[in-house]
Amino acid sequence: MPRSYVSDCEGFHRRDFLKIGAGGLFGLTLPQLLRLEAQATPEDKRKRRANAVIMLWLGGGPSHQDMWDLKPDAPEGIRSLFKPIPTKVSGVQISEHLPKTAQVADKISIIRSLYHTIPSHGPASVFMTTGNKPTPALDYPSMGSLTAKLVKTEKGIPPYVSFGDLRGDRGGVAGYLGTAYNPFIVEGGGKGGFRVRGIQLPGGFTLAELEKRDRLFRGFDETFRSLDKSADLVEGLDTFHQQALEILRSDKTKKAFDLEREPAALRERYGSTPFGQGVLAARRLVESGVRFVTISLGGWDTHAQNFDRLSKRLLPSLDQTLSALVEDLHARGLLDSTLVYCAGEFGRTPKINKTAGRDHWARSMAVVLAGGGIQRGYVHGSTDAQGMAPATEPCTPDDVCATIFHCLGIDPHTELTTSTGRPIQLFREGRVIEKLLA
Amino acid sequence: MRRTVEMLAVMARCFASRDPWFMLLACFALFTQMVCAVSGAHADVKLPAGETVQKVDFERHIVGVFGRMGCNSGSCHGSFQGKGGFRLSLFGYDPAKDYLALTREAEGRRLNRTDPDNSLLLLKATGRVPHEGQTRFGRDSWAYHLLRNWIADGAHWQPGSGTIVKIAITPPEYAFAKPGQTGQLHVKAVFADGTTETITSLCDFRTNDETVVEVTPLGKLRAVRPGDTAIIVSYRGHVVPVRVLVPLEAKPNFRYPEGPQVHFIDREVFAKLRRLGIVPSDLSSDTEFLRRVTIDTIGTLPSPQEVRAFLADTSSDKRTRKIDELLAHPMHAALWATKFCDITGNNTDALEGQGQRKALLSQMWHDWFRKRLAANVPYDEIVRGVLCATSREGLSPEEYVQQVKQIETVNCGFNETYAHRSTLDLFWRRQQQVPIEQWGEKTAAAFLGVRLECAQCHKHPFDRWTQTDYRAYANVFSRVSFGISPESQKLFRAENEERRKKKGDKKTVPLNPLREVFLTKASRILPDPDTNKPLPARALGGPIIPLDDGKDPRQTLFEWMRAPDNPFFARSFVNRVWGHYFGTGIVHPVDDFSLANPPSNDRLLEALAKDFIANKYNIRDLERKILLSRTYQLTAVPNETNRLDRTNYSHSYIRPLMAEVMVDVLNAALGATEKFGPEMPDGSRAIEVGASRVQNGSVNYAFRIFGRPPRTTTCDCQRAMEPALPQKLYLMADPSILQKMQAPQGRIARLLATERDDNKVLDELFLASVSRLPTAKERAWFASYRAQARDRRTAFVDTLWALINTHEFVFNH
Repeated sequence: MPRSYVSDCEGFHRRDFLKIGAGGLFGLTLPQLLRLEAQATPEDKRKRRANAVIMLWLGGGPSHQDMWDLKPDAPEGIRSLFKPIPTKVSGVQISEHLPKTAQVADKISIIRSLYHTIPSHGPASVFMTTGNKPTPALDYPSMGSLTAKLVKTEKGIPPYVSFGDLRGDRGGVAGYLGTAYNPFIVEGGGKGGFRVRGIQLPGGFTLAELEKRDRLFRGFDETFRSLDKSADLVEGLDTFHQQALEILRSDKTKKAFDLEREPAALRERYGSTPFGQGVLAARRLVESGVRFVTISLGGWDTHAQNFDRLSKRLLPSLDQTLSALVEDLHARGLLDSTLVYCAGEFGRTPKINKTAGRDHWARSMAVVLAGGGIQRGYVHGSTDAQGMAPATEPCTPDDVCATIFHCLGIDPHTELTTSTGRPIQLFREGRVIEKLLA
Repeated sequence: MRRTVEMLAVMARCFASRDPWFMLLACFALFTQMVCAVSGAHADVKLPAGETVQKVDFERHIVGVFGRMGCNSGSCHGSFQGKGGFRLSLFGYDPAKDYLALTREAEGRRLNRTDPDNSLLLLKATGRVPHEGQTRFGRDSWAYHLLRNWIADGAHWQPGSGTIVKIAITPPEYAFAKPGQTGQLHVKAVFADGTTETITSLCDFRTNDETVVEVTPLGKLRAVRPGDTAIIVSYRGHVVPVRVLVPLEAKPNFRYPEGPQVHFIDREVFAKLRRLGIVPSDLSSDTEFLRRVTIDTIGTLPSPQEVRAFLADTSSDKRTRKIDELLAHPMHAALWATKFCDITGNNTDALEGQGQRKALLSQMWHDWFRKRLAANVPYDEIVRGVLCATSREGLSPEEYVQQVKQIETVNCGFNETYAHRSTLDLFWRRQQQVPIEQWGEKTAAAFLGVRLECAQCHKHPFDRWTQTDYRAYANVFSRVSFGISPESQKLFRAENEERRKKKGDKKTVPLNPLREVFLTKASRILPDPDTNKPLPARALGGPIIPLDDGKDPRQTLFEWMRAPDNPFFARSFVNRVWGHYFGTGIVHPVDDFSLANPPSNDRLLEALAKDFIANKYNIRDLERKILLSRTYQLTAVPNETNRLDRTNYSHSYIRPLMAEVMVDVLNAALGATEKFGPEMPDGSRAIEVGASRVQNGSVNYAFRIFGRPPRTTTCDCQRAMEPALPQKLYLMADPSILQKMQAPQGRIARLLATERDDNKVLDELFLASVSRLPTAKERAWFASYRAQARDRRTAFVDTLWALINTHEFVFNH
């Protein structure tokens, strides 16, 4: 029988899948595994639009009906205290506290019909960042970790970088992909600037010293290496030793954090907050070849004083930075190849509570996407009169994740194998939202 | 006529099932059967492995072909959503549903009995109309003929015709004479009606190691290199392993050497090696042995003094004495307590309470195990304490409140207040309610080494477990409740009533009701997946467990587990212990006992389990036997015959360290200590930490990159045991490591202050990191480096940096 017939929907035979990531069970060596993965890389099957993703994570659950989906005709007690304002796109209105974003509305897409059913921070964050409903049986990898696994990255560049941990160290991580695909974590952000733990030489340890130590190391390593040259683990660690040296030698990432290289006006334009400066650094990281950057702005869990907190701190900060990023990427011609995703774990209750706050609400929410193959000046779907639930074009977090991966040139139904040999599609129930695509 | 009689019998059975769908289908099947009996017979179909099919049968052949062509796999039509509107049961476990999908859905266009070639099924599969799954087979293929014949013949289904009694493979074990040879597997199925049929062409063949033996889709084998592995044969969801062995071709005049054996472990290991023509390596050197056994038993390095003393000892029993000393060491119990925390899922985040309280509970969990391991409590008794735990352990609610108050005063680790309890109720106490399915999965993985989770939604694709098995096992736990028991409720109500009366003002603080693990009446019983009727609780692959015979059903389950003939309980634990000491389980991964993952040495596993049971589950005795064996004490240096062996223990395998051990080993080498968090006394070791996350961010980072499991499941797979890039970056450039090397209290500072002789400092650094003295070559290498170095201190800091980055340091071997 011709070989081409022994393949399934994805173009591979089941057997090939089983081999990937199932090293233990099927006795694969690390190099064999890498080879197989190289063969089975699903990247080339579709056209890649986005080279990188910047995810702005609004932890706590941003109040969509005070930001992207205002309901001025809704009764008091539901209606936002904020007024809608017109944007660059005729007929599209957003909150009066997002005036700068209104000016770049022609470059972004707003999804107003997103919903899910988990009004709890932890599991909702998992759903939003992994594109899979959390289950106790399996830890799904974050989109960043999946990107690190499936998209090739230049030597010496970390594929996935996260500014701080998402929800402690349990969010944004690699799950069943294994620790190798966890994000590199950016620390600092104050006066000392940013740094990534593990990829930069700390102060007082120069590259010249590293090279010297490495030479000394070779002399000591030889004794043991000569005992068993064929051991896979030794071979694997060797590869990582080389890669580590390449990363430490490369100053590309380090330079990305050197924000002094940017004009003062631009630095200011991003906002002089850690978030603003972090997003600028994120843009620079993407320019240096990083594939997925996550950066959080917290404080959106506005159970009380929702309107005060939004209008005084949260919205001005987000407005400043988000609009700056879109503008800047556009000006540099990077918007087409960089996908910006701005979301939190859920929306907030249409009804305003006794403490002028809004509570958790997952049945309707709104997110913003821009660039990287996403439509410009587009609003996807709508909610009902009171913003309780989607009215048209309902879509779910896995649909959004599927769309993002489609833009990255990766089939959202690519199958990976867990360490227990179980085949898992990236986003099993996710469907690409075609109307969002440019 | 005979067929009609048979059909009537089948129909009667279907009606007896009282399932309306089944009845309807049976009528339909009978009808088509009668109508089409008159249409002409078709030519036989030749299958590629040589079989001839005279009469195409739906269950046997059509469902078989779907499996063989991948149509009913999880990524295609076997997915729960189906694909392109067409859904088949995963790997064909439910022929009734498949038949319905083929004949009834899509307005019946899938099959065209009058013009079979224009059946949508065949048009799609051959790519003549667009098919997302592309072309599966051509029009001239056997699969096409099989399907076409079946459709042309009226597309009958005889329910139950494909029910499998047994799958027999010839030969059941395959021993090649040398690499390069080929062979053929033949697969026969014995069906419920007593007939036997060769089904080789309809099977899926998979090799567990294609570097040893390759297998074609038709079951043809080719020996690639010496070694052994298994071929996994599956037919419609039934899985059968076949062990295959390729011996090393002996060189001319080669005589297999007779090596010394200590006891039964060596006997079984060496017997297998002999069959493979592989010669075990030599005995390890003293330094190699000491480093290995110290890391394996107490999770750290021998100190330079200990290495020197061991080398100086000339007595013949020094290894035995060292083993006994290490097994009695307090850190040995701490190391295994950490492993038991993995096995039982001590996930700090999932425990009750807030922040620090959670970490303390995690520590109590660890301490509970540690106390028992230190006292060498038999394994079965430890498991009983976990599996059959209740909070009150027979205490009255009042007494229990007293106990909890006492436990709550604990604010630091290594306190025995909780450990004194006879059961570990923390295992069952989780912030969020845990559905009984998960108790089934957790206990099966932890104590039986069986991964059940696949069977939650469908028959396990690589094992025998069905959804019914899964649910029946979960039902054993249907009486376990975590909340406020009725007795306690009464107490709290009375107490609070009292308080209200006494004070009569608003300030009275009501007593907080205490949640506890207790048995209640079975609240939620999972129904039978086929009939939706209540499903009796059952041990996994074992007897029914009564839920209301006045006994804790978990106790009944435990008695089943501990019985000497239990196929999993002892085997799974001896395998875990073996996997710990060799880096590779006899069944590997250690908690994946399944048909598709047979043991590499069944006799060895059997012998270990038998001995363990005979010695009343004495853990330390088991460990001692393993450590005393020559097999454990072989060198890591391979010889010409065993270089490629990774599964038969011919030499000591190079293996990564557990994350906690890595942290401890690094601190030992650098002469540093660690502060983990407020619940841990200063100077604690990482293997003593119970919490799955600690407050010290730097340690958390190291734990994460070296693969400490979050313990969200009890799966051994959560502990990452392979090298990764961040680990290398950590060892090379992490600020915490560099600081410790330079620290005023660190090893280098202390050494340089007291020792003038560079050679002696070098010796100490080698002993402290790789547990041996430097070779002459290494001394010379250092001397030339020293000559060019800025100063003495820099030279030694650089040396220690280089040493902790060597493969020799990073791995155990």
